[in-house]
Amino acid sequence: MSSTLWQLRRGESCVIDRFDGRLRDTYRTRMVELGFHPGAAVTCVVAPRLGAPKLFRVGNAVYSLEKQVAELVITAGEGA
Amino acid sequence: MTRVLVVGSPNSGKSLLFNRLTGLRQKVANFPGITVDTHSGHSRQHPEMELVDFPGVYSLHAVSGEETVAVETFSRALGEGDVSAVLCVVDATRLEKGLVFALQVADAARRAGKRVVIAANMMDTLERHGLLLDDAGLAGALGLPVIPISARTGSGLALLERALLAGPEPAAPKDSLLARDETAYRNEAERLSRTYGPRGDLLIMSTSRADRFFLHSLTGGISFLLIMYFLFQSIFTWAAPLMDAVETSLAWLASLLLPWIGNDIARDFLRDAIFGGVGAFLVFVPQIFVLTLVVGLLEDSGYLARAAVICHRPLRIFGLTGKSFVPMLSGVACAIPGIYAARTVESPRRRWLTYLAIPLMPCSARLPVYALLITAFIPAYTMLGGWVGLQGLAMFGIYLFGICSGLLVTALVSRALGDRGEDAPFVLEMPPYRMPSWEPLLRGAWDRSRHFVYKAGPVIFWVSVAVWFLGYFPNLGADLGHSWLGSLGRLIEPLFAPLGLDWKYGVAILASFIAREVFVGTLGTLFGIEGAEDDVVSLAERVQASGLPLGSGFALLVFFAIAAQCVSTLAVLRRESGSWRLPVQMFIGYGLLAYTAAFATYRLVEWLVA
Repeated sequence: MSSTLWQLRRGESCVIDRFDGRLRDTYRTRMVELGFHPGAAVTCVVAPRLGAPKLFRVGNAVYSLEKQVAELVITAGEGA
Repeated sequence: MTRVLVVGSPNSGKSLLFNRLTGLRQKVANFPGITVDTHSGHSRQHPEMELVDFPGVYSLHAVSGEETVAVETFSRALGEGDVSAVLCVVDATRLEKGLVFALQVADAARRAGKRVVIAANMMDTLERHGLLLDDAGLAGALGLPVIPISARTGSGLALLERALLAGPEPAAPKDSLLARDETAYRNEAERLSRTYGPRGDLLIMSTSRADRFFLHSLTGGISFLLIMYFLFQSIFTWAAPLMDAVETSLAWLASLLLPWIGNDIARDFLRDAIFGGVGAFLVFVPQIFVLTLVVGLLEDSGYLARAAVICHRPLRIFGLTGKSFVPMLSGVACAIPGIYAARTVESPRRRWLTYLAIPLMPCSARLPVYALLITAFIPAYTMLGGWVGLQGLAMFGIYLFGICSGLLVTALVSRALGDRGEDAPFVLEMPPYRMPSWEPLLRGAWDRSRHFVYKAGPVIFWVSVAVWFLGYFPNLGADLGHSWLGSLGRLIEPLFAPLGLDWKYGVAILASFIAREVFVGTLGTLFGIEGAEDDVVSLAERVQASGLPLGSGFALLVFFAIAAQCVSTLAVLRRESGSWRLPVQMFIGYGLLAYTAAFATYRLVEWLVA
């Protein structure tokens, strides 16, 4: 079973594998432009409880992603 | 004359640079997408150069309403003959992110035959951390001038302006990255950033530590509540000395001028309509200044983006998104910028729900009304060395009531509409925490207060004059009850009698449909005429002395918290929503709700008191 970005816990890293087909094209393009592209290393910086959006670092920027979108980013193992 | 289009990603420091170059007082904020309109101004050093500032966007592939407006406007402007160059601002500390957009802009500008100059901003931060940017190498790779600058310190700006005025002619169109797949710009930006950009974990580590505190389930929630409480408490505690100063100055001016006026009618007019009506409104302007200053402080420090993250999950319950938080908080200052800021909400459904909530946010025009009623009914009791005051708590309470009403309405409407699964996902950039610059903050608060006085002042003046005229004649102020205004008031009295309000308050409420703050000026004039023999007494004391029941005071608070009285807000909403349908529905719906809730409050409070 594949893992998703949402499953990352604070301090954990991963590499993005692909996007779930349910993510619409417009938003997939935006995610890629922000740095969330297949092959990119992502680290979870803050993971609040109670289902609040998590903070992910990609490149030299930090973004907050809610569960609904982070679950559509499929990851592949430990990142750099 | 030459025109330069200024573009950049959100948080690239573009607005601060624009302000530096033009000296204009444009709002500078550290929240993604706070600039939602174009601004223009002439360079201070080179007046022949006009700069046009565009809203910050991440990409020329728009995903939100605001981005679509910005991108379409930019594309149209590129085609105009008098546009000579495009200035693209990138944050050198996060080069990769800025370059994705810069590459898209360079492609678009080359196709339009315009020059592009890249400003690599925030060099002061890089230098402080001992990091370097190979600007010459980057310029060579891009085929464009890259000028290292710091909008904060002003370094490199002279060179930048020279490059904008006399840069090289645009290169012939190269191979556009557009033709390739969606990752082409990203891959190129990554490559360039790796080769020429600074190396190091700049700002990220300290930001992460702060975020772990401010976004923690417990400490984040507590700090959010404390910061919001501090915001509302400051309206009273910080503004009080300024308000006293305005009141004392007005009283001094009145005592100086009035004895010089021999004509009785002219003297009564000056005392009651000008010092009583307009003066009563001016006393509350310092509160608007303090409110704008504190909201600006939160924006510029980077905290507002965190507040949006904290609020996202709770706001989802009400059908909104974390991105609704900033438009709603802007609505606390004024509903109009709040409605403009709602363009940043990508989902049309959630944007519409945000529109519904904004007019219920406690805007600054309500502030004078709340402050008057709270001062009249709530004792000025303080505890904990003055840090906690009963009046501040009451203000917090009525603000909370407005916010909760807004959320309740959106929750009900959202449930009624149903979720069609079309909502845009919540993805928000976290800007680095920054120490705000005081100068733009103070200037912003000053501008907002001045704008408020200029906008509301003439309306309040003419309403005060009309109310004074109708109340003073035909019996020259001898008996307000038998004046023309008294007759008019008694005609509408049955409408307000169920709220325990006499005709004077009825007249003031009717006048407040022009603008809420007119309520205070109108009451000031009315009580001024009635108490013409008294010394100048503050309006709150006159309201106390008028014997207004406690229940009516609370009913008035509730009425003003809900009713959508502001004509300007409804007009802007019409423009943004594309039709009169929503503003008309809002005016009628919120009007009926306000009256019903005020009636229930009056009955409840009077029953409790009895």
